[in-house]
Amino acid sequence: MRNLVFISGLLLVMAGAAAAQNAPDSSTETQPPARQQRRSRNLIDRWNQMSPAERERELAKLPPERAAAIRERIRKYNEMPHADKEALREGYDIFAQLPAEKQELVRQSLREFRRLPQDRQDEVHRAFMELRVLPEAQRTARLNSEEFHGKFTMMERQILTVVSENLAVPAN
Amino acid sequence: MACPLESHNSELLVAYAAGELEMEAAHALERHLEECPACSALAAGQAAVWKALDAWQAPAISPDFDARLYRRVRTEAPATWWRRLWRPLRPMPLFKVLPLAAAACMLLIVSVLLERPANIEPVAPRAETVRVDQVERTLDDLELLNQFDVASHTDSAHPNTM
Repeated sequence: MRNLVFISGLLLVMAGAAAAQNAPDSSTETQPPARQQRRSRNLIDRWNQMSPAERERELAKLPPERAAAIRERIRKYNEMPHADKEALREGYDIFAQLPAEKQELVRQSLREFRRLPQDRQDEVHRAFMELRVLPEAQRTARLNSEEFHGKFTMMERQILTVVSENLAVPAN
Repeated sequence: MACPLESHNSELLVAYAAGELEMEAAHALERHLEECPACSALAAGQAAVWKALDAWQAPAISPDFDARLYRRVRTEAPATWWRRLWRPLRPMPLFKVLPLAAAACMLLIVSVLLERPANIEPVAPRAETVRVDQVERTLDDLELLNQFDVASHTDSAHPNTM
């Protein structure tokens, strides 16, 4: 009798395991939406999946010149080399996960970056590539270092602070 | 007397060998045994078994058998909770385990088959409609990010505009 009870328990456990195997993966369900969307299709990818008729219906809502400009920009995006497009997607995924106000802050900084002379853009970007992989404490120390104060203007340091804080490589 | 073997009454021979027949029935059977070799052989065989059983003597138990038995009862009676928990997991004889394991496997297979969803044709995901103003804003963001990245890859080239 005792063994019978034991076997019954074993059967229940096995049936439970089988049911759990068929159940949807709860680990993905409990992830926050932002993480789930990570490396997912961005809006342009989703736009590309719409039917041509749907796309044209949407574009018809804009003035013809603006619609034409969007068509051209999408064409350029679609024609980007695969590796470049993947790198851009990766960067955009990080950006898209930011709260709206931080996204706006990054936009402003990147617009400021665009106004810099080319040689300063190169210098700032080199510093960004170095900063983005550093832990937060080291990054802050580096940004506040004498070397950075001597090398970059206040605007450039501000750009570096914003983009390195918000577009940093996420820790694994 | 009718032959016990022919009348399918071999219990009579067994009872005779065990000394359980009445004297009159026993005498009648003895007269038949003198004439019937088959019944005689069976009765002789039964008598030999009884004789062997009478001759067998059970081995004597050790003098401290009772003491050891009671000691074991005392130590095992207040089994700890983990010992009680472990008791059902003790190895079972194979002849008991096999049918139960087979039944468990069958139940598991049936439950998995029942749980498996029917072979439904996958429905092609419907492309969701994206608003054009969202697309334009995303293109702006991608362009900003792209220009920032391009600056590092090419020192002199101007970033592409999307």
